[in-house]
Amino acid sequence: MFQIDFGSDGQIICSGRLDAAQCEKAQSFLDAVDNSRTIDFSQLEYISSAGLGVLLKTQKRLAESEAGLKIVNVNHHIHDVFRYSGFTAIFDIETPNT
Amino acid sequence: MQKKFPRSYASLEDIFKFTERFFDAENIGEAVRFPVHFVLEELFTNMVKYNPGNSNDIMLDVNRVQQNVTVSLTDFDVDSFDVTLERNVDVESPLKQRKVGGLGLHLIQKMVDSLEYNYSDRESNITFTKGLA
Repeated sequence: MFQIDFGSDGQIICSGRLDAAQCEKAQSFLDAVDNSRTIDFSQLEYISSAGLGVLLKTQKRLAESEAGLKIVNVNHHIHDVFRYSGFTAIFDIETPNT
Repeated sequence: MQKKFPRSYASLEDIFKFTERFFDAENIGEAVRFPVHFVLEELFTNMVKYNPGNSNDIMLDVNRVQQNVTVSLTDFDVDSFDVTLERNVDVESPLKQRKVGGLGLHLIQKMVDSLEYNYSDRESNITFTKGLA
């Protein structure tokens, strides 16, 4: 089960598993975001390459207006995927230990 | 453990439940579960995406062989598509120059210990292994 919503502090909270079957839900939510936001991944267990595409598409759109996503509380498995993808250079990413 | 799954993204939930039962039975931890799920999803969704008119189910076989998990996917009545070929994927360009998509087959080669592709009689078989150590 994948969930995405705004938290009480305005952060975007993702939880569960962001696989290819859930990307439409994630993309639909993020398409409505029009300024810089922090996404909390502390409850996100898994992301697939399709999920990476959702994040990259959103980051490219926001960058056109000098905005962007900051991703925090990234578990080390997902951080490995970000590193292999070169996402650490194009997103502001924080792991729990950073 | 072997099972056939319908050619649909909606099968992912059942596929993950199937592999989780295997991992639980073999007492295999998240360090192996995560990359196996990532690679399995990438390969399965490629089969769905590139053969949309095919009504055959896709066969998944998951086994433990000594200190390795071996995963095999077999697709029936399809054209050849060798997932082991080197892909020229850009992971270093600035954001504006990055293209959405195409990362998956690049990433899977970094996440498994072996990856083999066999094609015969219009049957595609992809087998990968992930070490438990």
